[in-house]
Amino acid sequence: MYFPYFASYILIGFVLSLIVFLWALKNGQFREQQRARFLPLEDEPDRAPAPTTRISRLETWALGLLAVAGLLASAAILVYALING
Amino acid sequence: MTTDAHTADQPYLTAKGFCITSGLWLVVATFMGLLGATELIAPDLTENIGWLVFGRIRPIHVNLVLFGFVTPGLLGAAFYYFPRLLRTRIYSDKLGVVTVLLWNLTLVAAVVSLAAGHTQGREYAEMIWPIDMLVVAVFVLVFINLIMTVRQRREPVLYVSVWYVCAAVVLTGATFSLGNVIWQPTSGALVGIPDAILLWFYGHNVFGLLLTPLAAGVAYYVIPRACQSPLYSHTLSLLGFWSLIVVYTHIGTHHLLQVPVPTWLKVISIVDSVAMVIPVMAFLINIWYTARGRLGAIHADIGAKFVFTGTIMYFFVSIQGSMMALPQVQRVTHFNNWVVAHAHVGVLGFAGMIALGGLYYVLPRIAGKPLYSRFLADFQYWMVLIGVVGFTSVLTIAGLVQGHAWLNGETVYRVIPQIHVYYVYRAALGLMIFISAVLGLYNILRTLYFNPGEAR
Ligand code: HEM
Repeated sequence: MYFPYFASYILIGFVLSLIVFLWALKNGQFREQQRARFLPLEDEPDRAPAPTTRISRLETWALGLLAVAGLLASAAILVYALING
Repeated sequence: MTTDAHTADQPYLTAKGFCITSGLWLVVATFMGLLGATELIAPDLTENIGWLVFGRIRPIHVNLVLFGFVTPGLLGAAFYYFPRLLRTRIYSDKLGVVTVLLWNLTLVAAVVSLAAGHTQGREYAEMIWPIDMLVVAVFVLVFINLIMTVRQRREPVLYVSVWYVCAAVVLTGATFSLGNVIWQPTSGALVGIPDAILLWFYGHNVFGLLLTPLAAGVAYYVIPRACQSPLYSHTLSLLGFWSLIVVYTHIGTHHLLQVPVPTWLKVISIVDSVAMVIPVMAFLINIWYTARGRLGAIHADIGAKFVFTGTIMYFFVSIQGSMMALPQVQRVTHFNNWVVAHAHVGVLGFAGMIALGGLYYVLPRIAGKPLYSRFLADFQYWMVLIGVVGFTSVLTIAGLVQGHAWLNGETVYRVIPQIHVYYVYRAALGLMIFISAVLGLYNILRTLYFNPGEAR
């Protein structure tokens, strides 16, 4: 009989998550959402990025093409599976 | 935008320690992977050398990647951004340094014991009991340091990265203890099917509740900073966080769809694997919208470039994962190299890329000097990218060959020669990743020490 142990673990996990969630709710963690968006920026700003060069533009294109190739491969597998499945 | 007196001039010793740990163990871990890949091509290579046989090298590789490279890399970044986001100092750098030392001791003990053949024989839970206890101890120490930093914060609102990291550390401490059945020191296991269920509950949580939230935390910090634009939506990020906690915890059984576990559990795991699209897309939409129109800035910062690429890999691995949880698909993809391809896109392409990104983002800021060599970092970026894409291609093809062979009742010994060539490509790609890891470690050490660059 292992179910009672698993079920108690689930229950404990659920109750703890609920407690944390309710704490967050009461503590106003869901309130200042607009300000929260800026939190990573409340520091000295990063240095201005270096200007783009021809080689870095080429690199960006290569990366973009790679991502599109990945998407096409995934789509092709899906279509193939649907046709032959 | 001001420099906060409370966060300025911190020594960041803990972050530094975790970054060095990550770079160092990446070298060892990728070497073990390369050795394992070579043994798959030439099985007699290490014949009669007990401590180097594949069965021992594989768990060393896997455990070192998870606990030696990716987790410390992501924690290194976390120990940098926690004080900044919370506008305080880290609770105790002394405690942090002790944690880093203990972490490294744990890893050495894991390598030695696994090489000596001491294993509990359960995937991702191979390490023996004393080392399990050390792992739990380091997670407890990390948690104490982080939660005390949260307690002494001067910023009332917890940014989403803080949520993710705290959850990752607590949940991993708990699921690691459970999954390794630490109350049974000798076997480290339950008996029969319940053991498989528990093991995969834990096994999947290593990716879902350790690597994923830690990586999301880094991405949520680095991308807005590199773009110098606010996060697209903090509310959406919290929605993603809570839905991840709700959904990810139920999907471990999708590793056991072809095992006689209760059907209701399989159904839950499949439904929630598909529902994973909610936290995944909440995260990706948020990050990608934040970066919209600012790809140039991302490209200019090598750390952000790694991180952003990691988010694209996350898209692919998650969509693929949801498909793989469908029983019809898994009839072909299970028990072969397809899963190994998926594992590498997830752990190296997504979490590993983001760990390296976090590392390269924080290193110059900790050192107070520019990165020693942007060229070396870019080289590593391309080697890892080509490596992951290459792994995915060759292992997926090999997996499909194997999957169809198993489905047709083909015998193993007739299939192995067919996939041999893919193993050769895989080892070659592994060599590239290993070489770039060595150069990466050199770059990390030169950035922190003996850096000739001008102070920032
Ligand atoms: C929506 C998200 C994801 C889903 C639904 C998913 C689904 C799956 C499934 C169904 C398997 C089992 C395949 C089989 O044995 O036939 C699997 C394996 C695996 N996944 Fe994922 N995955 C997801 C994301 C990730 C991520 C983000 C990572 C890494 C950080 C990852 C790492 C792994 C690894 C390492 C394995 C291999 C486990 C083994 O050793 O058997 N996955 N995944």
